[in-house]
Amino acid sequence: MFRRTLYLLMALVLCLMAFAPLQAQDETLNVAWPYQVPPTGHFNTFASNGITLGQYQDIHEPPLAVLMWATGDYAGMVAEEFGWDDDGNYVIKMVEGYSWSDGSSMTADDLMATFNVFRLRGDAVWANMTGIEKVDDSTVKFHMDSPSSLAERIILTTNLRPASVFGDIADRAAMMSPGDDGWDALLQELTEFRPEAPVSGGPYTILPDTISEANLMLELNAGGFAGDVQNYDMVRMWNGETEVVTPLVANAELHYITHGIPPTTEEDFANRGIDIVRSGMNNGPGLYVNHAVYPLNLVEVRQAIAHAIDRIQNGVVSLGDSGVAVEYMTGMSDGLSEAWLSDETLDSLNYYDYDLMKAEELLTSVGFSRNDDGIWVDDNGDTLSFELTFPQEFADWSAAAENATAQLNEFGFDISARGVQFQQHPQDIYASNFEMAIRNWGLGDPIPGRSYLQAYNRYNGQGEAAGEGGGAGMNFDNNVDFSGGMVNVFDLSNQSSQGVDKDAQAELVTQLAISYNEVLPAIPLWERYTNNALNRNFISVPDSSDSIFANFGGGADNWMTTLILSGVTAPAEM
Amino acid sequence: MTSRNADAQLDSSDVSGVAGALSTLLVKYPLHKNYYLRVFAQAILTIWAVLTVTFFLVRQMPGNPIDVLIEQILTQEGISYQEAYDRVASSFNFDPDASLFDQYLDYIGDLLRLDMGTSITSPGTRIIDEIARFLPWTLFAVGSGFLISFVLGIILGMSMAYYRDSALDHAMSLISSFFTGVPNYIWGLLIIIGPGISWNWFDVGAARGTYDPGLTPGLNAAFIGSAIEHALLPIITYVLATLGSWMLSMKSSTTGVLNDDYVNVAEARGLKDRRIITAYVGRNAMLPLFAQLSISIGFVLGSGVVIEEIFVYWGFGHYLFQAITVRDYTSVQGAVLILSSTFVFSNLFADLTYGLLDPRVRITGEK
Repeated sequence: MFRRTLYLLMALVLCLMAFAPLQAQDETLNVAWPYQVPPTGHFNTFASNGITLGQYQDIHEPPLAVLMWATGDYAGMVAEEFGWDDDGNYVIKMVEGYSWSDGSSMTADDLMATFNVFRLRGDAVWANMTGIEKVDDSTVKFHMDSPSSLAERIILTTNLRPASVFGDIADRAAMMSPGDDGWDALLQELTEFRPEAPVSGGPYTILPDTISEANLMLELNAGGFAGDVQNYDMVRMWNGETEVVTPLVANAELHYITHGIPPTTEEDFANRGIDIVRSGMNNGPGLYVNHAVYPLNLVEVRQAIAHAIDRIQNGVVSLGDSGVAVEYMTGMSDGLSEAWLSDETLDSLNYYDYDLMKAEELLTSVGFSRNDDGIWVDDNGDTLSFELTFPQEFADWSAAAENATAQLNEFGFDISARGVQFQQHPQDIYASNFEMAIRNWGLGDPIPGRSYLQAYNRYNGQGEAAGEGGGAGMNFDNNVDFSGGMVNVFDLSNQSSQGVDKDAQAELVTQLAISYNEVLPAIPLWERYTNNALNRNFISVPDSSDSIFANFGGGADNWMTTLILSGVTAPAEM
Repeated sequence: MTSRNADAQLDSSDVSGVAGALSTLLVKYPLHKNYYLRVFAQAILTIWAVLTVTFFLVRQMPGNPIDVLIEQILTQEGISYQEAYDRVASSFNFDPDASLFDQYLDYIGDLLRLDMGTSITSPGTRIIDEIARFLPWTLFAVGSGFLISFVLGIILGMSMAYYRDSALDHAMSLISSFFTGVPNYIWGLLIIIGPGISWNWFDVGAARGTYDPGLTPGLNAAFIGSAIEHALLPIITYVLATLGSWMLSMKSSTTGVLNDDYVNVAEARGLKDRRIITAYVGRNAMLPLFAQLSISIGFVLGSGVVIEEIFVYWGFGHYLFQAITVRDYTSVQGAVLILSSTFVFSNLFADLTYGLLDPRVRITGEK
């Protein structure tokens, strides 16, 4: 009996060993992005659970242009020529000679279809647009209320969809207006539309038969945009989140990931010769306070908190080399501050260096003192006791919260940190159900005014923008009195991305930056830099000093797909 | 946007039709007089109660499908809240402000028409199609592991009892206790890290999925071979994680039977060991495990969640996990319906068939 059992166990072990190790495929680019398999996942990239492949959507539904962050200029992709005409409309002339994987030509009809479907969905780009006009087979004019760099960005970073697939719905949408009979039905038809196969206009097209929960393959689409400059025949898109893709990177089966990895994994990868690429993401965790809770509404208290936290330590403890302390404290990233603010303005800012004496001075200036236990007591005799909440599943934010709590308590606050389920946490903030909290500041977007939407809108009356009338959030009064006068900072942040006069925009951004720096509605702790794992033994891309790496590594304009579309990314052996 | 089409509303004619059919059945087969009908009705009632509680409970979870997807987009992409909201709100067939009671009536009405509805996050995709995509893989992998574990556990447990107090018994008891104490996800991680990454016994990436891409599912050798190959790691993990408890249970049960008089009498009569083990000891020792087996069958579907995530072997567990993560209420409800039905009916099966194995507890039909 035992011999038979032993044989059975041996057979199982032998079956295990039967898996042959996979050899590296030089002609295949191995990257990763999570997706759902059919029938949950599908090929309607306008609907939720569509297999877009996130930032890699660019390689099968190419963008019109890419912003080069180092210079601030757009590089045309599908859009060959683009810009504002004398009437304040935006005109795009597309490249010619490319085709979709179903054989149809890439023309202005595709651009028309894409934006008419956006209109049906109610996308924000139509907030400034009054119409769209096909000028000729390769040219489209976007009629605008007024020129806006924000509208330009949204238009240019759009991923083009095929009219051969979406044209019918788009054409019917173009004939109707919101509220018309049949509008809602058409929207429902769009969301339930399931194309039988993916149609690609980029250099690679998804092979439906290869889709599994493990990975999917994209093959070269030679007739598509940038298909003629590719160095790979195939792309293997591995599926999964960080914990799923980590073993594959360690095993050298997966050669580039954009997934945030913990410092310990980063160290392990580095020991295996894998490069860690860091690009500023223009956002990170910040310490938010509820301005309805006294004395957190006092600017001196928030400034004291900023001085009492060593942000360098907080960043390193939380995310190693990718947690970079914020220096300028303007509400936007240091990179954006340097790009948009004059040297004179930068010099005038309060950097809120780690300075406990200064923090003490600020608190005493408003009548606070320490009790016998060394805990700070406000002018009403109440100790500075608060609860600081954070999303407990986010390892880096949890570390930031615990470290900030420890530092503030050492200074004389009485703060207790409490982890909250990550989907509940933002709801608590929206509903003003918090005293202090760790949430994100900034936005992975090069338009500076948009960085302020977190503090002035999302966490301060969330839902207002969406017309839902959400909670009061952090209860901050957006009418701010600062050294430059009285301004409404929410209006200012919106206005700063309107128009195309960069000097005029910079003037508004300067007001936003200085007012934020003085008032500190929320306290930025550190900026998150990517720690994308890149195995240069398999993938050849420029050295890390190249300016392309200024491009944010995760969303639109990301450097990897920009390099793929430019024909630069190649197997390491070439 | 409404949460359901107008034709999906539960109207009074549906209710009266169902009530009429039920009353006819009750007159013909009075529940209080028939044990089998009564326990069947209890099972249906239990499932309804579970579904009702689930319906309201999932809607009390933090966030709704729209909130969850907005947060995902905001985390992954550099866009504003409003852009994320615009993109998400219009693409869901879901109204967060719709009356809970109306939604519940819609849901029950659909179920009475044997319609599990469509996914919220994949509008237009039928729940039944999604479940049909994922369920078979869990039944295959976890079910196979369950059977192998049970059979091995029975054989080894009986052997431990038969050679009780020997070195073999002590060693096997230690091993089975160890196996019982280590949770399945630890076994899964150990298999990936040890044989997979450190020793390169198998290719971590190629072992993922339920079968090799490009194959056509069906009764062909290539597909079946690939499916077995991909299921091996989850099966081994499941066997390792559950084998110990079957061994210990069987040992305990067998040891009790070995001390019974009829076994001593059988030995005194000079019957062969093989016959005593199989006909006298084995059959009677199995009786307590039969109930445990039936209950465990109910857990089969739900026990593979972590294993399926670790090995990227997407089955029913992954489907349920994903549905909960994105707050796809209708998908959660569909999955819970399958889970609760499996659990309730496997218990019902145990109740009804136990008497066939053990005449001492046999039910005579009417009580």
